[in-house]
Amino acid sequence: MAEEKPLDFAREITSKHGGETITRCYQCGTCASTCPVARTTERYNPRQIIRLALLGQRDEVLKGDAIWLCASCYNCQERCPQKVEIADVIYALRNIAIREGNIPAVYTEFANGLMNEGRLAPISKFVEKKRPEYGLPPLKPTGIEALKKILAATGFDKIMFKKEGASP
Amino acid sequence: MKAYALFLGCTIPARQPHYELAARKALTKLGIELVDMEGTSCCAPPPIQSIDLETSLAIAAYNVCLAEEADLDILTLCTGCFESLTIANRLLKEKPELREKVNKILSNAGKEFKGTREVKHYLQVLVNDVGVERLKQSVVKPLSKLKVAAFSGCHLLRPSEILRFDDPERPRIFDTLIEALGAKSIPYKNKLRCCGGLLRGYADDVALAIARDKIVNAYNAGADCISTLCPFCFLTLDLGQMLIKTTYKEEYNMPIIHYAELLSLSLGVEPKELALDFHKIKIDKVLEKIV
Amino acid sequence: MVEEAKVGVFLSDCGGQIAKILDFEALTNFVKGVEGVALVAMGSEFWRGEGLKTILDAVKAKKINRVVVAETVPKISEVAIAKAVEEAGLNPHLVEVIDLKDHCAWPHRDTPKEATEKAKAMLLAAIEKVKLQEPIEKAEFPAVKSVLVIGGGLAGMQAAEDLADMGFQVFLVEKEPFLGGLAARAVRFFPTDDCAICIQSPTTDLKTVTQTSRKCVYRSGFSEIPNLKVLTNAKVVKVEGGPGNYHVVVERKPRYVDEAKCVACDLCTIVCPVEVPDEYNAKLTKRKAIYIDKPLVYPPAYAIDAKACKFRECAKCVAVCPTKAINLDQKPEQLTLNVGSIIVATGFREYDPSVIKEYHYDEYPDVITHLELARMLDAFGPTGGVPIRPSDGKPAKRIVFVQCVGSRDRRWNPYCSSICCMISLKHATMIKEAFPDADVTICYIDIRTTGREHEYYYEKAREMGVKFVKGRPSEIVHDPATNTLVVEVEDELLRRLLELEADLVVLATAMVPSEDAKELAQILGIELDQDGFFKEYNAKLRPTETKRRGIFICGGAVFPKDAPTASLHAHSAAVKAAKFLMNGKIVKDLKVAVVNQDYCGNCQFCPVTCPYGAITLEPKGDGHFAAKVSKLLCEGCGVCVGTCPVGAIELRHLKPSQMSAQIKALLSVNGTSKPLVLAFSCSECGHAAVDSSGMAMMNYPANVRVLRVPCTGVIQVQHILEAFKAGAQGVMVVGCKPDGCHYEVGSQKAKRKVEMAKALLKAYGIEPERLEMFNLIFIEGDKFAEAAKAMTERVEKLGFLQLA
Repeated sequence: MAEEKPLDFAREITSKHGGETITRCYQCGTCASTCPVARTTERYNPRQIIRLALLGQRDEVLKGDAIWLCASCYNCQERCPQKVEIADVIYALRNIAIREGNIPAVYTEFANGLMNEGRLAPISKFVEKKRPEYGLPPLKPTGIEALKKILAATGFDKIMFKKEGASP
Repeated sequence: MKAYALFLGCTIPARQPHYELAARKALTKLGIELVDMEGTSCCAPPPIQSIDLETSLAIAAYNVCLAEEADLDILTLCTGCFESLTIANRLLKEKPELREKVNKILSNAGKEFKGTREVKHYLQVLVNDVGVERLKQSVVKPLSKLKVAAFSGCHLLRPSEILRFDDPERPRIFDTLIEALGAKSIPYKNKLRCCGGLLRGYADDVALAIARDKIVNAYNAGADCISTLCPFCFLTLDLGQMLIKTTYKEEYNMPIIHYAELLSLSLGVEPKELALDFHKIKIDKVLEKIV
Repeated sequence: MVEEAKVGVFLSDCGGQIAKILDFEALTNFVKGVEGVALVAMGSEFWRGEGLKTILDAVKAKKINRVVVAETVPKISEVAIAKAVEEAGLNPHLVEVIDLKDHCAWPHRDTPKEATEKAKAMLLAAIEKVKLQEPIEKAEFPAVKSVLVIGGGLAGMQAAEDLADMGFQVFLVEKEPFLGGLAARAVRFFPTDDCAICIQSPTTDLKTVTQTSRKCVYRSGFSEIPNLKVLTNAKVVKVEGGPGNYHVVVERKPRYVDEAKCVACDLCTIVCPVEVPDEYNAKLTKRKAIYIDKPLVYPPAYAIDAKACKFRECAKCVAVCPTKAINLDQKPEQLTLNVGSIIVATGFREYDPSVIKEYHYDEYPDVITHLELARMLDAFGPTGGVPIRPSDGKPAKRIVFVQCVGSRDRRWNPYCSSICCMISLKHATMIKEAFPDADVTICYIDIRTTGREHEYYYEKAREMGVKFVKGRPSEIVHDPATNTLVVEVEDELLRRLLELEADLVVLATAMVPSEDAKELAQILGIELDQDGFFKEYNAKLRPTETKRRGIFICGGAVFPKDAPTASLHAHSAAVKAAKFLMNGKIVKDLKVAVVNQDYCGNCQFCPVTCPYGAITLEPKGDGHFAAKVSKLLCEGCGVCVGTCPVGAIELRHLKPSQMSAQIKALLSVNGTSKPLVLAFSCSECGHAAVDSSGMAMMNYPANVRVLRVPCTGVIQVQHILEAFKAGAQGVMVVGCKPDGCHYEVGSQKAKRKVEMAKALLKAYGIEPERLEMFNLIFIEGDKFAEAAKAMTERVEKLGFLQLA
């Protein structure tokens, strides 16, 4: 705890897309109360995540399990009396965590799907064959070339491979 | 009637062609022209936003550009796509600095966001273009014996400041459209609460617990089925019941059915034309009530 | 026509202090050589004692008709000198006092020769200014010793009573048929838990034993104060006239019951066939179309609800009234009141929490607000003091309070409403007192008990077993099976997510301004703040005042507050009104702006810009309008002067000729090797910063010359250009902070002028960096010195500016 500098982490978050409003939080707990995940498991409490972040507990937040448990339902953001964009703050925290190499396996899969095929979920051959049977038109190809250019422009591909030795 | 650029997203074509099928049939019957979009990509929903928000914004904007180029408004089926594309469209229209930033990125792909078109969910098209009255009149097989637990999912309504689809605390549009088919949209506990779908793959046990709550609440309220709009919700609640059986040893046999399917059925489309075998929980009980 | 000026110049060396720096002989010789100077004297002090006598003798002997004094503590000395000079027979505005110590000797003490040269320029400027000054007379305006108090709640009644006791004629106007406001419904006030309808007894109350008594309003004799007239069912619709002499049009809705005849016997309500939900009692009961509020405040006369009554179709009450007090044909009436001052005390009300849909106030009858609970807890009230569930009438055993409903909420009202924590504690303890087994929980974000004895109140609540959950509920859910409410909240201290079952949920809603505040503000011409409350001119130093002289605001109408504070505020407003009117007249020096109507082009900028609403447009008869400045309302700031695009307005105490003369004079002598910089400084914060830089012995170079103006708002672009033409190499504009201008808008207007001037300079090929605006306050004297040095350096680097 001694090494953390609270204001630095808070500032880091507010300067990131999605994290701009985190310092408005006055810890009222509305988000936790309305969160379907928090009501199901003690592993997750959005108010607590924000508190830890504002107190500068960078490692605990970014290396922990909690930030991956948000289901993006936006209930918290909807009801927050201080208009803290809580769900977006969680995205911002995830963005930072991934840049530092903390990425759950399932997200690596999503990213690969995106980078290789331009899709989150690959089309199974089975389903593709069934399409004409139902009278569905064949799928148009994805704009993977254009997508690759966009991903290169934002450095997305580099975000994914911050870790040493990892290969695309 | 108006033509729309149909944005299918990833999940529907990959795993739920029955949704696409039902939607195409129903909307065409109602006179909506659907133009397939070329060169789209994933819309950049939460899993991608979790990796990088700026990239997601650019990807979503890219897809909107395609519609702008075709001079058509977008129509989405998946509410996740609706959210992602609408947020990009709104933010870039309303914030010039952000638009400039994103256009710089898009220029690498030869695109420029102009802000000339709208992103719509097909429910909006039903309300605005078709109209509830005309919809009612088009129903040939009223679903009057059906008690439906309406579940629009999160991303149709929230964040309401940007999406502006319906009142986030007291939404009425989805219920009205269900009732236009003759069915009854019943109240049930935590109707607007998330299905937990996005936790699948990371915390399956938590996701399942949340999904189970939803099924139980609908069941306790006496619903004949749960009607969905989002393919993730569908998967979570439909396939989820198989997992509930093995994990919790409970069986609810609650049919999960996309609104587009209910719509198609009420408009007279025969069940056999609808690829209903993609439902893990059989929906025979629902079909019986429609006859 | 300015008479021939004979200026007397008096140089104080401040007890010899500054003579060590400034060469007083050289100054004396210099001044002697200035045209119009009739007398020069040197000494150690001129603002009192022998020194002052010297000035007065010269005045009385008619040797001089203008006075310039270089004196110490000029902000005090100029007042003393002007007063003495006036008594000696000379117009006090023909006196100019400058500060050679703090503005010259001290800051330039390391360069005495340069300081002396600057002192010459300063003296020359003062002399030239005062030569051009014409006498400014006083004017008297009537001040009718009568006050209108708008709002008959606690604050209104206290203020009205103070003023009536002091002998002023007071009109207390209340829009409802009964006085009392929120107090009447609130029953008890924290932290003493005594009756809410208690007020101070008037001194005219013959039955009072002591002079420090307080009584329930209805038995206080308040209404019997001879010069107090209470007008209920009344609203202000128009205000004309000005401070000291307003003509206020008040419209009275008919009561249909003659207050002079009604004996409050209640026979009418017995026969009245109409029943309506009683809004006063949170619709928990019904009342008749003819009714009286209980507990009784004032007047003790029934009133008819015109929306509910069937009038001639029924008229049963008319027949039964023993004193024939009911008149169903009564019409609305309008009266015009002539008052010298107006006090606004319209209070606040509860925010309607229906918009916070997750709390379902509009849908679940068992979700109520504090005022509604107060009615239940009132023994006189609809449930006889028992908290019940409106849905089924059963007693409520489990009660949950929710704090900050619509307060501290960016979506609705971002401010804290200040009193809701205490109100919840009050109600919670009242319930526990009467029903010790009640299960009472308060859900809060913070508990704010900051006032006197408030913390003990919080202690008492805990000791009585009130439970506290730190967490803001996210939703209130209704379980139809059990007809119970469930409050979903996180107990942050336990780190547990709770579902609290409740029979009754009480929302501590935000307190917002009265629904008529906006309209009334427009009628009176006063401002509302960003939250819609009436805005005080300066809450710290001029509380209860508004930018309109003579109109005061107090109580909850200014911001939600508890009873002691509202009372305090009300007394404060009464004192201000009394002060304003006590002489029966308003005497004012006419240091005002005057419009030359021939030049006025009716552009209408000035009426909009004037912070005091002192400018109106008058028809000139030929179909055109011209601006006219009210002598009474004008504060002499000069913002209008700075706004007028054709220079049609001038200040009597700073004419264009005086401005030009000072600019030239201050820049006429350099004496340093540095480029001249002219600093226009407002006479409030700006000048104070210059003062303090000297007082604190800061250093800055003597090439910086200060020209004092009333407000930087008076500055026009041409003044800045004139300065450059007269030899300034750099120009500074020093004013108050943008949100702290002593004349409301002046320094913000000045900023715009500076920006425009910069653009013009650039167009002329002159570096816009030669011009800069600074916003400083008294304690920033060091910043002024820094700024002066920085501007000098900057201008030196830019090089010499040669204007053709």
